[in-house]
Parts: sequence; C-alpha cells; structure tokens
Amino acid sequence: MSAYVCPFCSTASPADTATCPGCGAPIDITRKPSASGWLELPPTADLARIQAGRSSLQIEGTLVPVADFKLADGDGIYFGHHELLWKDPAVHVERMNIKGAWKRMLAGLPVHMLNAKGPGRIAFSRDAPGEMLAIPIAAGQGVDVREHVFLVATQAVTYDYLVSPVWYDTREGDEIEHHWPLGMLLDRFSAKTEPGLVLIHAHGNAFVRTLAPGESVFVKGSALLYKDPSVNMQLHFELAERKGFASWFSSAWNYQRYVWLHLTGPGRVAIQSAYGHHHDPERAIYRSSQATEHRW
Amino acid sequence: MTTRGVRIDVRIDAQPVPIGPEYVTDQPQSALRTDMDAFTRVVCQWCNNQSQSPTQCSFCGAPLDVKDTVTESGWREAPRLRDMTEIHFDQSTCQVEGEVVPVVEIALAPHDSVYFEHHVMLWKQPTVPVQLMPTQGPKRSFFNLPHLITVASGPGRIAFSRDASGEIVVLPLHPGMEIDVREHAFLLASSRISYTYVRIKGLANILHGGNGMWLDRFVTRDAPGLLVLHGYGNVFERLLAPGEVIEVEPGAMLFKDASVTLETEKIKLSSGLLGGTSMYLAKLTGPGRVGIQSMYHHGGAGE
Repeated sequence: MSAYVCPFCSTASPADTATCPGCGAPIDITRKPSASGWLELPPTADLARIQAGRSSLQIEGTLVPVADFKLADGDGIYFGHHELLWKDPAVHVERMNIKGAWKRMLAGLPVHMLNAKGPGRIAFSRDAPGEMLAIPIAAGQGVDVREHVFLVATQAVTYDYLVSPVWYDTREGDEIEHHWPLGMLLDRFSAKTEPGLVLIHAHGNAFVRTLAPGESVFVKGSALLYKDPSVNMQLHFELAERKGFASWFSSAWNYQRYVWLHLTGPGRVAIQSAYGHHHDPERAIYRSSQATEHRW
Repeated sequence: MTTRGVRIDVRIDAQPVPIGPEYVTDQPQSALRTDMDAFTRVVCQWCNNQSQSPTQCSFCGAPLDVKDTVTESGWREAPRLRDMTEIHFDQSTCQVEGEVVPVVEIALAPHDSVYFEHHVMLWKQPTVPVQLMPTQGPKRSFFNLPHLITVASGPGRIAFSRDASGEIVVLPLHPGMEIDVREHAFLLASSRISYTYVRIKGLANILHGGNGMWLDRFVTRDAPGLLVLHGYGNVFERLLAPGEVIEVEPGAMLFKDASVTLETEKIKLSSGLLGGTSMYLAKLTGPGRVGIQSMYHHGGAGE
C-alpha cells in the first residue's frame, strides 16, 4: 500500500525516480503515501479560497485556522454555537432544532445548532491548534464524522446522527460501567440532490488513507476523524501477557488490554495525530458490540 | 513567513469588481469591503486603500508589498515573527525565540526597565533587580486580575513566555496612543508606557460578556514605547472605519484602540415561554484598530 499511484496512468511505483515508469509523467512527491499507506493531508494554505455554491470561504491562519465565510444572498450554513468567532451584524443567526435533545445532552453534544443566513460574512474557529479540513460531498454521497469534530456545513448537506455501534460494558460486582471508545454518537452528513461542503477541525495533523475492499486497519477510537459510510467498524481487544510481580495478585492482571477500532474497507478513513486518551478500567468485559480479540 | 494568497480555483460566479473613481469617493471602508474580491486585498501603506492591482496602488500609485495582504473580509494576519527576530526599544533589545510557544527575551540596557505579570517570567540573570509596581492590589485580586505587576530594571537579560501555543504580537506605541488589551493577554511593556485598567461598563457584560470585567489600558504621553502581547492561536487585526461595527465572540477580543467602543450585544436565537434562547457577542464599533485571537476561551456567555 505504500506505492505511489500516478494520477495520469494509475501505474503503481515506489516513487524513487523523477518520472513515472509507466507514462513518464513527473512524480508528485506530495502524493506519495507513508510506508504504512497513510497520506498526510497537506495543511490548507494560508488564505486558501474555497468555493461552495454561490458562497465562498477563506481559510486564514496556520496554527489555529479560521474559516471566514462570505455568504451569498439566501445561502445558509449551520454550526455549533461554540465555534463562532465573529460575524457581520447583517448576518442573521437563528436556532436549528435537532431531534433527540436528551440523548445529545448525555453524549455531551450541543442540544441545538445555529443557522446563519447570507448575505454577509461570518467566521469560525475551534480553540485548539490543528488543521482545518474541507470535505466536499457530492450529491448522493455522505460521510461519518466522529462527535466533537464537526465545525460548520453548508445548507445543502443534511445532518443526522447515529448511536455509535462501538461500545462495551465492564462489570465489577453489581456495578456495570458503559464505555464508548469512539464517543456515544456519530455525526452523519449527506448531500441529497446537490453537492455541499463540511468543514471539520483536526487536533494536530490529519492523515487519510483509502482502504481496499476487505483491507483492515486498527486505530485509536478518539483518533478517528471521519470515514466513508461504506467502511465497517467494530471493536478489537488485544491482550498482552504481563509477566512479573503484578500477575501474582489477580488473574485479571495477567493481561494488559488494548482497545482498538477495527476498520475494514472499502472506503476512506481519516485520523488525527492529537487525540484524547480513552480510559479503560481493565475490568472484565460483561458485554460488548461485535468484537474480536487477540492474545499475545 | 507562510505562503500567502493561494487560491483553489473552482470559482463559478466570478463577478468583475467595479474599479474607478466611484471607489475613491467618500464611501465608508465597510462599503468597499463588502464588494472586495480575491484580488483586491493588498493594503497600500501610503493611503490605506485596498487595491485591485497586485503591484501598485490604483489610488495613489505607491508600490504594493505582498506582505500587506489582508483576508477578503479585511483582516490582516499578525506577522508570524521569525525565530530570533530582534526588535529595539529605548536603549534595549527584544528578541523573539521559538515559534510554537514563543519566548520574548529582553536585553535591558542600564536605566531601562520593563513591567509584566509575574507568572509570565521564564528566566532572568541574577543581577537583574525586580520590584513591585504600585497598583490597587486588593481590588485587582478581587476581580481575579494579577495582584502584582513586577518591574525589572537593567542592565541584564530577562525572558518571558505564556504557557500556551500562539503568537507574540509586538505593538510599538507612538506618543499619544491609547490601547486597550484583554485582561491576562499582556506579556510586557516598556516603562515609558503608563499602565492603568478600565472597567467594561454595563450589567450585560458582567452577567454574560465573557470579556472579563476589566481591560488593561496602555497609554503613551510624549515618548514612544513597546507593548508585547501573547495571542492564543493566530492573531488578526482589522481597522474599523468610523461607525463600522463587527460582532466578535467575547473570548476572542485581544486588543483595540481606545477609540473603539465595546458593548455586549444580545443575539436572540429563538423565542419561548421561558424567554427563549440567546447568545451574547462583543459589539465593537469604530473608528480604530481591533485585534482578535483564533483560539479563545468560550465562557458560555449567556446560553
């Protein structure tokens, strides 16, 4: 998977020459994936301009980038109210209701989002160093985004969320603890009849790869940024044997447990390099969503 | 310096931007800004107009510099200072070191001094004396401002940093200037700048503002001085025309000219039996400069 694929003739090569061995086209070194198959998304250049229908936006700054929208008359966007940085007084903002307020509150997500209508300018940023990623969504397509990653989307994109299919329960005595390694909810953005744009914020650097049908990769749940809906995901537990003093006390301490998100293609997967640590109490698993296990 | 002006050329609605005499009439700058195109973004340092030509000002003919590029909405990015950039003030030198969490190192000449909040001091030479600046300490403590402002005098070296990634903003103040700075954003100032603090008026600000209750005010009388701030994330600056208004997330406001007024504005989002939902933004009205930071503390103002 570490091969460079020529954009003209699709010939795979190791990209250690200046030109493609298949068609002679110059090798674009920025399209070369890492040895493991991840392609580092080039950070959006400062003052890059992106067109979204009749509206446009500009990405400003490189450390904590800002998305500065110029909304055309009648165009709209929606966003979480925490992301608003500044706006022209003329831009009208109103509440957008979302079903399942209680469930969203439990997940720590905003209960409602805001709609902004053009004409006028409005800008957004998230208060963390990282990268701003623009995901254009073609008509009839969609993308699944991990919760708390979404920044702003154009009106042509519909928003829905689903309960994360990745979870497990641990039990100690009568106490049952519920765990969501990926978060409780997953945002789903779809474009029905016309294309749209979703902007997300990645903490640290962002990497993307396209998984072939049946190809798998393990990633940390909180590192996932987005995936195509065609990518299947489930839990995977890895148990590494402990040797030494700790293992004498309890059989539960015989193994160190690692919780992975097992992603299987076909489709795109994107991850971020800075992510929160999922706390696993390493108690016995009482029940879980579909999962596999491997002991080393 | 980052590469600027990169465009993703997928424009489908390119409209020609009107140029000519109507652009040099007495329209307010905000009116010009509304119709600004991707090409009309270089600010002339002579006449302050934003020109369509990338090489020379179409209003006064002065040569233009790509470093003066502004965003389409009129914000100018604070220049990302190169590692080891050196700045001179009075008889002393200031050097900015590092880029992720930059450090400001001051080489103080004899008889020169700087003042700062004591928790931003990173290191100093043992020979540099420090003393306290008289402030209304208890009153400042009550409102969660640093109790003490410390003064360091030369000769010797002393360095400062704030423990967050961001940018160092260097503001040279000419005689007769007044700058208001968000509380806890100032890193250091040279002793020729006088320091006071002003309360942001209005009950709405106290209850919902998120700006804090106080602004640090720095004033120069008849001598220039150097003011150094730390902005979280990227820092942007914009010049508001008289009467021009911008609404900003309260936690993002970094600094403003004293001539810019600041009020807390309630934005009604929905109505309901219990009063509905609303949010609060900082309403800034020109004339004058406004600086914002892109990584801000969201105080949950009024939701």
